[in-house]
Amino acid sequence: MSSIRFDAVSKSFGAGQVKALDDVDLAIADKEFLAIVGPSGCGKTTCLRLAAGFEFPTSGRVLVGNAEVREPGPDRAVVFQQFALFPWKTVVENIELGLRNRNMPREERRIRVMEAVELIGLNGYEGAYPHQLSGGMQQRVAIARAYVLDPQVLLMDEPFGALDAQTRVVMQEELVRLARRNPRTVLFITHGVEEAVYLADRVAIMTRRPGRLKEIVDVKSIREAEGWERYSRIEDVMDLESFVHLRTHIWRSLREEKTGAAH
Amino acid sequence: MPLGRRSAIGVTTLGLLVLAWFMATGANGLISPGRFPTPADTWAAGLQAMGRGYGDATLVVHVLQSLKLVALGFVVSVVVGVPLGLLMGTSATAEAVLNPVFMLLRPIPPLAWIPLAILWFGLGDTAKIMVIFFAAFVPSVINTQAGVRTIERPLIEAARMLGTPHGRFIREVVVPGAAPMIFTGLRLSLQASWTTLVAAELVGALAGLGHLLNLAQQDLYPGMILVGMICVAIFGALTTALLGLVERRTLTWVRIKGETA
Ligand SMILES: Nc1ncnc2c1ncn2[C@@H]1O[C@H](COP(=O)(O)OP(=O)(O)OP(=O)(O)O)[C@@H](O)[C@H]1O
Ligand SMILES: [Mg+2]
Repeated sequence: MSSIRFDAVSKSFGAGQVKALDDVDLAIADKEFLAIVGPSGCGKTTCLRLAAGFEFPTSGRVLVGNAEVREPGPDRAVVFQQFALFPWKTVVENIELGLRNRNMPREERRIRVMEAVELIGLNGYEGAYPHQLSGGMQQRVAIARAYVLDPQVLLMDEPFGALDAQTRVVMQEELVRLARRNPRTVLFITHGVEEAVYLADRVAIMTRRPGRLKEIVDVKSIREAEGWERYSRIEDVMDLESFVHLRTHIWRSLREEKTGAAH
Repeated sequence: MPLGRRSAIGVTTLGLLVLAWFMATGANGLISPGRFPTPADTWAAGLQAMGRGYGDATLVVHVLQSLKLVALGFVVSVVVGVPLGLLMGTSATAEAVLNPVFMLLRPIPPLAWIPLAILWFGLGDTAKIMVIFFAAFVPSVINTQAGVRTIERPLIEAARMLGTPHGRFIREVVVPGAAPMIFTGLRLSLQASWTTLVAAELVGALAGLGHLLNLAQQDLYPGMILVGMICVAIFGALTTALLGLVERRTLTWVRIKGETA
């Protein structure tokens, strides 16, 4: 239904001088949570923008739910790396725009938006403008704006990057709860290896630019085999030997990329 | 700088200017009253214009006539200019079609339209509004278009991702995003409205401040010339201030952004 597939996707910018992605083959199953990690500038955001419909491949195809991606739409909600909140709209107005576009009745909308505000812990800031909020708070509004759409596909570009450690943990645990209660297809970009291992079913590691897929690590089978779900707190999971093992494996793989040892 | 302090400095500057005027045109002053009127002459001319009137009408009538035409010309320019700017900013096709027309029209000084305007519409209001329009709609178009270009791409992408329909996209994303520049355009349009109106009235009119200035020049009446100029200055400043007030009321979020940046 809402799988995402990259079919031999290459992407160059400009007149082909900057090759961002090189022959990427990647399939994300329906309701799967896939995290992408990789060195800065390797093309992670580019992958996400292709799935969102903001960019189009130079060669190859990007499919969401078996149809080639032609334009952006609310079935694929995006949490932007740079938030992209409307500065002239308040917190509530930012969050509810997508619902208004869907012609949801006012009362239902109000309830949904209030739930979202509650979820991101911004009660009391409903009428604030983005510039009156800290970076972390703005990021949470951007997350809420995507969540209220209740989309089949969630595309998140370092969505917790601007949060302090405590808030990040809260949001991570919330995302795990959300994903379990109402599973959906998630493409999640992060620099945090631990975050990727904690959240994702699979972790894709990318090479330095031009980005290629280096390795895909299956987390889900280990999570299930080792019973991570028994622990509700992230720090308990992070202490498990199986977790540490996976994390270290991905770290090594990434480190080779960063130092270029693999080349 | 706090507002109180700023206005105190402003008032002082104006006071000093008036004082310098008194001294320069006084008994031992540098300027002869035949070239530049004394404050007393100007005051007398002002009283005459307000009471008996000058040039077939009282000062109030002249002022109201000019204000009316500035307001009409400005509104027509904005009502045409801003949507045109939005269109050119959002549609590459519209821009490709309209830009050559602009390139052609822009080098023509607004006052060069006066002969044609008078030929078409005579000395009445319509001719003046047409001349104002040709001067004042250009800054509205250009600044609106530039304002649309300043909108950050992620915001446009976010709107598309949220499935925003076109009309709402224009109203709630493009217009507010371009609003600071749109207001810059409006300010320039208003200024252009005043300058072209007075110039148009100078050339041919039956009433208005430019008409008054023109008569005073023919009558070699420096006091009255200054009365006309002072009125243009005061009402030009007042209308600009009014526009500034509307801007601050409309763009609360920009002020908030400025305070926290
Ligand atoms: N619109 C564009 N025009 C030209 N080059 C671009 C454009 N977008 C991205 N690039 C280039 O493509 C490469 C990949 O960029 P991308 O934003 O996907 O990296 P990233 O992996 O998300 O990096 P980061 O971790 O720093 O966010 C970079 O070298 C970047 O300079
Ligand atoms: Mg990125």
